[in-house]
Amino acid sequence: MIRDSVTLGELERDALTEIVNIGVGRAASSLRKMIGDQVTLSVPAIDIVSQRRAARLISEREAAELVAVRQDFDGAFAGRALLIFPESNSLELVRAVTGESLSAEDLAEMEREALTETGNVILNSCLATIANMLKRSLAMTIPEVLHGNSAALFEIENAEDEDGLVLFLYIDFAVRKRDIRGYIAMIMDIPSLEKLKELLDEFIARVVGDDG
Amino acid sequence: MAEAGAEQVRSILAAAGASGSWDWDIAADALRIDTRFAELYGLEPESAVGDLPTATFFAAIHPADRPRIRIAVAGMLAGAERFSKEFRVLAPDGSTLWMHGRGQAHLDENDAPVRFTGLLIDVTERKRTEERLRIAQSAGGVGTFEYSDGFATATVSTEFCQLLGLHPAAVLPVRTINSVLCDGEPLLLPQPGSDSIGDTLDAVFRIVRNDDGSHRWIARRGEVVREGSGYRLIGVIYDVTAAKEQEAKLRELADTLEMRVQQEVAERREAEEALRQAQKMEAVGQLTGGIAHDFNNLLTVIIGNIDTVVRRMDMEHDPRMRRSLENALKGAERAASLTQRLLAFSRRQPLEPKTIDIARVLTGMSDLLTRSITETIAIRIDTDAELWKVEVDPHQLENAILNLAVNARDAMPSGGGLTIEARNVEVQDARPGGCLPGAYVVVSVTDSGTGMSPETVAKVFDPFFTTKEVGKGTGLGLSMVYGFVKQSGGHITIDSAEGRGTAVRLYLARKQQDVLLEIEERRPSARMGNADETILVVEDDDDVRAYTVGILRELGYQVVEAQDGDGALRLLGGHDVGATLLLTDVVMPRMSGPELASRAKALHPELRVLFTSGYTRDAIMRDDRLDPDVDLLSKPFTYATLAAKVRELLDRGH
Repeated sequence: MIRDSVTLGELERDALTEIVNIGVGRAASSLRKMIGDQVTLSVPAIDIVSQRRAARLISEREAAELVAVRQDFDGAFAGRALLIFPESNSLELVRAVTGESLSAEDLAEMEREALTETGNVILNSCLATIANMLKRSLAMTIPEVLHGNSAALFEIENAEDEDGLVLFLYIDFAVRKRDIRGYIAMIMDIPSLEKLKELLDEFIARVVGDDG
Repeated sequence: MAEAGAEQVRSILAAAGASGSWDWDIAADALRIDTRFAELYGLEPESAVGDLPTATFFAAIHPADRPRIRIAVAGMLAGAERFSKEFRVLAPDGSTLWMHGRGQAHLDENDAPVRFTGLLIDVTERKRTEERLRIAQSAGGVGTFEYSDGFATATVSTEFCQLLGLHPAAVLPVRTINSVLCDGEPLLLPQPGSDSIGDTLDAVFRIVRNDDGSHRWIARRGEVVREGSGYRLIGVIYDVTAAKEQEAKLRELADTLEMRVQQEVAERREAEEALRQAQKMEAVGQLTGGIAHDFNNLLTVIIGNIDTVVRRMDMEHDPRMRRSLENALKGAERAASLTQRLLAFSRRQPLEPKTIDIARVLTGMSDLLTRSITETIAIRIDTDAELWKVEVDPHQLENAILNLAVNARDAMPSGGGLTIEARNVEVQDARPGGCLPGAYVVVSVTDSGTGMSPETVAKVFDPFFTTKEVGKGTGLGLSMVYGFVKQSGGHITIDSAEGRGTAVRLYLARKQQDVLLEIEERRPSARMGNADETILVVEDDDDVRAYTVGILRELGYQVVEAQDGDGALRLLGGHDVGATLLLTDVVMPRMSGPELASRAKALHPELRVLFTSGYTRDAIMRDDRLDPDVDLLSKPFTYATLAAKVRELLDRGH
């Protein structure tokens, strides 16, 4: 099957991990500035999976409802990026971002705004870094906050016959004294993934040169 | 001054184990290195003082590692914050050293990287240790893992991945690791929301390997390292499937062993119980048989003498005396029938088995049954259409069935149903104390009466055991049935439960040769003898002998008598005695009846022999049955039965 044929080679995976790590590294420093506390983000693993599989990966791990910040991107390759948290984590994140002083009411009010901002920082850092490193430009939409289960987030209901692929990045979040974890998922169709693979190869050729 | 400072830094770095340091000036696109770096790379020491092309950084790196490092460095130049890579460096002396390059980016106020500095640390020793560890792991089939509380991933070894059938990776999502577990297993590594970790990691898990789908057992061992409020898990996993399978096999073996032992013990207990029961019946049989034998002799005398008195006296003159004598005779006859039953139980009654059709026996009994059983009880007789033939004594069988029917009646004081059935049954499996495999006609007598407790059932065949009121039963009915069936080579079972009625089944062996003999009715009649017919009576009991001789003389026979075998043979040897018939007791001291008979026959081949016996087990019976060639008169006999039997023998001819 064609859709299964998009797999990344070892160097491609290294390169993409490196690139995304630069992105989350930037995101971490931005968050550090926002939270004023030690934040470590790293991307230890990258997978390309089907949309259904991605939904299952998350639902197996996270029983609770989820919150996601969504940003669509378009350019050399197109897709939709999701920063996903368990809903119970999101307030914790909001509290971390906004400080301890807010009441629960204010916190709830601030939630959307804080999540949008956090998501924007992280997703933007990643996407912009990828685009930058691959010497392409990507246009990004304004982030949106979604609530729902993993099936809803991955729009499985609307994709009956077309099961798109997802570039699935696990991120280890470590925010001191906070229980926060999350995932980044980039939903792309096969042509977009093929394009990404191609650009990664270009990048590798460029930095590795004759050693490749 | 600057030189001294640099020297100081160098010695600090050397002490720290650093093999070199670099300073990559991104803005100037130049690389600066220290003397150790230069040495390591095989560069002139003076290289350490000036700017070098940045490509120098990759020059000594092993070609296989170079692309990876180039990508990582490209990341640093593009704004990544930290550099931490291990790679091989080809040293000038030809050796390959493992280096851990650790560096960091220096950003300007716009977060743009301007410098990339770092250290090279020789980790060759550690790499070798790791190599040994890796080999130890793969050789020992041990996979390692390290997990930090709160992270979604764990650091694992190649062997770890292989044990779980996962694609080898240094870092795996915890979810992926746990996904190999079978349903219902605890988690291999904690996931968010899982229970807090215990003090030990020791556990065994069932998994389905991700690659080949095989089911395996995986053991986990390790330590929980507490760090502040969190913890780290460091441990190993290894495959224990073989041990588990062995264990399961052993357990199964142990389980079935226990079961088999239990079964064996139960069988033995059953066999012992059956043996005990058989021994008890045998012992009681010996006892009752012995008593009955003596009783029979006494009764023969009593009955015979009363009989004689009744016949000789002119009763018309004294009706009262006649009534008394008749009552005495009745009592004696009842006593005789009682001893008959005792003999039946002790399997010492002479049986005259015939090949019979039980269906016809039952049909013939229906009138008798109807008369014996009260009207409140519905009798049903049902037999298989093509019932097999059996070889039993028909009179005793009738007796047994009637006995069972009467018992059934007594168990149903307020009415009910009595079913007598005869069925062809093939018994397949032998059971201890049970019926041997074979073909049987099973006669069952079933009632819907009060039934019996298991304790009662256990004793029901014992002689003199009765559930009836004192005086209502002899306690010999079922004992007699039991003895009869056993003596006929059959088997008897009883099923009963309180309130649910009783079923007694008689298993009578199928007679293969289905030649049906008509049951001949024998009506004893007193027929007189002739004086030229001489009868030799041999009997050790003087009273019985006197009685017997008296009858025979009364009948008109010439009688000579002897009290044992030797005396008899002496008489037969004399020329003055031309005996026609030898009437001898079976059981006698010194010489038994059959022995005497055979020796007498040797002297006088024409001599006819009639045995008399209270019981006939000892010598006259073969296979517990009467030898067809032998004529037997059961004790106690009366005037009429003796007369008829003697006449029959003398008239039979040869």
